[in-house]
Amino acid sequence: MEYFLQQLINGLTLGSVYGLIAIGYTMVYGIIGMINFAHGDIFMVGAFVALISFILFALTAIALPVILILVLLISMVFTACYGWTVEKLAYKPLRKSFRLAPLISALGMSIVLQNYVQAAQGARIKTLQPVIQGGFNFFEESEFVVTLSYLQIFIVLVTIVLMAIFTLLITRTALGRAQRACEQDRTMTALMGINVDRTISMTFIIGSSLASVAGMMFVMYYGVIDFYIGFLAGIKAFTAAVLGGIGSIPGAMLGGLLIGLIEVFWSGYISIEYKDIAAFTTLVIVLIFFPTGFLGKPDIEKV
Amino acid sequence: MDKNFLQSSLKDSLFTGLIALALFGPIVGLRTVAVNEALVVQPKWLVVALIVAFCAVGRFFINIYTFKKDQRRGEPSSFGKAISNFLDTKGSQIALGAVIFSIIFPFLPFADRYWMDIAIMMMTYIMLGWGLNIVIGLAGLLDLGYVAFYAVGAYSYALFAIHFGWSFWICLPLAGLFAGMFGILLGFPVLRLRGDYLAIVTLAFGEMIRILLLNWYELTKGPDGLTGIPRPSFFGLPFKRYPDEGVETFHTFFGLEYSPMQRIIFLYYLILILALITNFFTIKIRRLPVGRAWEALREDEIACKSLGVNPRNTKLTAFAVGAMFGGFAGSFFATRQAFISPESFTFIESAIIVAIVVLGGMGSQTGVVLSTIFLIGLIEVFRDFESYRMVAFGGAMVLIMVFRPKGILAKRKPTITMVKEK
Amino acid sequence: MSEKLLSVENLTMKFGGLIAIDDLSFSAKKDQITSIIGPNGAGKTTVFNCLTGFYKATSGSMFLNKDNKTLDLKKFSDFKVAQKAGVARTFQNIRLFPQMSVLENMMVAQHNKLMVASGFSLLGLINAPSFLKKEKEAKEISKYWLDIINLTNRADDNAGDLPYGDQRKLEIVRAMCIEPHLLCLDEPAAGLNAKESAELNKLLKFIQKDKKTGILLIEHDMSVVMGISDHVVVLNYGKKIFEGTAQETKTSPEVIEAYLGTEE
Repeated sequence: MEYFLQQLINGLTLGSVYGLIAIGYTMVYGIIGMINFAHGDIFMVGAFVALISFILFALTAIALPVILILVLLISMVFTACYGWTVEKLAYKPLRKSFRLAPLISALGMSIVLQNYVQAAQGARIKTLQPVIQGGFNFFEESEFVVTLSYLQIFIVLVTIVLMAIFTLLITRTALGRAQRACEQDRTMTALMGINVDRTISMTFIIGSSLASVAGMMFVMYYGVIDFYIGFLAGIKAFTAAVLGGIGSIPGAMLGGLLIGLIEVFWSGYISIEYKDIAAFTTLVIVLIFFPTGFLGKPDIEKV
Repeated sequence: MDKNFLQSSLKDSLFTGLIALALFGPIVGLRTVAVNEALVVQPKWLVVALIVAFCAVGRFFINIYTFKKDQRRGEPSSFGKAISNFLDTKGSQIALGAVIFSIIFPFLPFADRYWMDIAIMMMTYIMLGWGLNIVIGLAGLLDLGYVAFYAVGAYSYALFAIHFGWSFWICLPLAGLFAGMFGILLGFPVLRLRGDYLAIVTLAFGEMIRILLLNWYELTKGPDGLTGIPRPSFFGLPFKRYPDEGVETFHTFFGLEYSPMQRIIFLYYLILILALITNFFTIKIRRLPVGRAWEALREDEIACKSLGVNPRNTKLTAFAVGAMFGGFAGSFFATRQAFISPESFTFIESAIIVAIVVLGGMGSQTGVVLSTIFLIGLIEVFRDFESYRMVAFGGAMVLIMVFRPKGILAKRKPTITMVKEK
Repeated sequence: MSEKLLSVENLTMKFGGLIAIDDLSFSAKKDQITSIIGPNGAGKTTVFNCLTGFYKATSGSMFLNKDNKTLDLKKFSDFKVAQKAGVARTFQNIRLFPQMSVLENMMVAQHNKLMVASGFSLLGLINAPSFLKKEKEAKEISKYWLDIINLTNRADDNAGDLPYGDQRKLEIVRAMCIEPHLLCLDEPAAGLNAKESAELNKLLKFIQKDKKTGILLIEHDMSVVMGISDHVVVLNYGKKIFEGTAQETKTSPEVIEAYLGTEE
């Protein structure tokens, strides 16, 4: 029971990270109908920016809460630049092209980002000293002590706050309305005088900044990153997006939590070597038997 | 050139410089290095300044010199058109020339060990490209896990050859068959998925196979890989300097001086023959009903159903045939290397093969050759800049997609004509 | 009196709460042209999609008389309706293989018999004479149909490059290549000018009279419907509101009210 509870806590934490990445997949898919293959690598860039900022701020005497907020903002801004640039360079020219072209271009972009970071920052793994330490312990008398660390609370709280802000953004603002209109019909939206290019750019900026937050949490939670983390995390987050129903933002969060739980419970109870197989198997099963996910719209074949 | 234009270009290039600063500032400018087990940041502002200046100035010149902003993207450029036309009219002569060139290649004066190795590597990629071209180019199924079949071919070849001691010519078809069966097995559940989902599922399958190879130690020796895969022999004549007692070798049989190049040349011809078989098979099957149905499915699946074409079986054959050729290529890889490990079958290999097919022009056999020479050549040229070669490779993928989304050779020839030889 | 070809009985199709077809029964006779008309959204295309296996009907049955046997169309899933039951169809928004040549389009329609002839590709790979002969025959059949619609001289051009009217006609003759018993046409006259419309009428009459193929037609263009239909079924909100000859339809008060418009 204690063991189970601990896994649950860990799973929800990891799930928050996946959920934040998944939102980027789901939004881009919703608006331009492509799988942004490079999104996982955007997350990786975000993790690196956060790591570098943490190292720099560690030299200063700024109080920890301020550092956290500053790192959060810095990673969001710098990573958003990456998302924006990738869209402008690799996807925008291909918007009217045949359907596989943007996917190939995204694949190329993913290779570029990975190897660029490897070249610039080195191939070795990078470790970060724990930023937030300590936590609450439960069941101290029993054999297995359940720990809920402050870091985990921080991660889940930030996720919830961001989700709330983000939901307001989509449902209440003109930008959100423009986004939802673009999802329905891009040409018509343009005819209504909405700047479609800017709306798509904003989508990428928002998606990338959320991914960078996930990157920051990842580097704080695991303390170890390398240039390759984006590939697996990206696939898992994509699975989360499909599981929740691609195109649906609450679905992405829900899917993220589920994937986090599946991964943690699989490693905890079945086998840690095959932990990535669990994610891939989930992906395959979900796509084959459940392609519309939990909150997605059914996809009726129009004849 | 009016003042306004100059001003706006300047503004634009300043903006570009700013973005470049944001992009490269932290990642390039602040390199993290481990000193005494703790990370410190090593500033590299000079590099960043150079990159930012380059981006800004580059953007400025692009602004100044490209007045023709309305140039339609995607339309083949005049240069591309010229190449296309040239290849169209002289297609068969060029193909013949290329085949002759590849046959005499080992005997050209500059063809030393280095060039032969590159030639063999390119030929392997060409064969893989031709195999995958059936799946992606003809049937329109984006398979991002093609390396799985390459791996299945290589491992089944190695296991058959090591454990049963069967010869190359028995193991090769078996490995191909095995990979083909695998294709059917994997294809069966996933082929009804639509394009991009199919791509992701095949990617997942590719990775699953690799993880399986890594962890199934009893069979695959995991990360240690399989060693001692028998070298191929020339119809029973081994390529050895000091053969076992009473065994005739290639050089003694033909009365030649021993040279390690003999085996390399033999391997070269082996892959050349395998690749040409793949090519002729594809050219032939494209003109058969099943090939035409593949292309029709790529064009419009619903129309195919309304004409009574079974989409699942038709896709499965494409998937299986493609997998089979991947398996053949895998066998060759195993016998050439004499050692295989999961390292060789990562996702990046799949990505390279997909890039070769798509950049060559979907369905174009000649395109596969051209893009292999270009892409593998590019990776080779950047060999000394280890960490930048894949950046260049990925960048080339993006650039070709942006400027020629249909690939280098986009023109398609009908498989059957009414008027004889138009 | 010719015999019955298709009988649809109590067909119902629901999408969630929406009833697209409501307890529809009608029949079509061999070598007749039966038209289904009705306002937009009346469920006409849905009837086609049920018939040709693209949708699974919620309830009801559809029977096709083929060579003195009665086939239950519900038992065939999508492509089998064309392959086994011999029901061909065209689409409202033309579905050709645009990057393939006109001739290739015609050859794909003869896929199943050519597949058998090519020994599932094995005989084809070795250029077996039996396969080459069949392939030549298939080409002859294609030429026969292309001659009829005057497209033989464009046989080697991409289907997507043809003018709109020719694409419509090509889609119809392509469907004829599977040698169907029943040909379902979804708004074949949409977007055609008066001259092309007249040519279409001629083509459909030819298919009906000379090829003895029953035609089921969805159409808005009344000149086509009234000109060639032997039998008309009128739908509104998924229900049949009238069935009769073209002449009877023109004068039926229900039809005029629901569709042709009440006279003020």
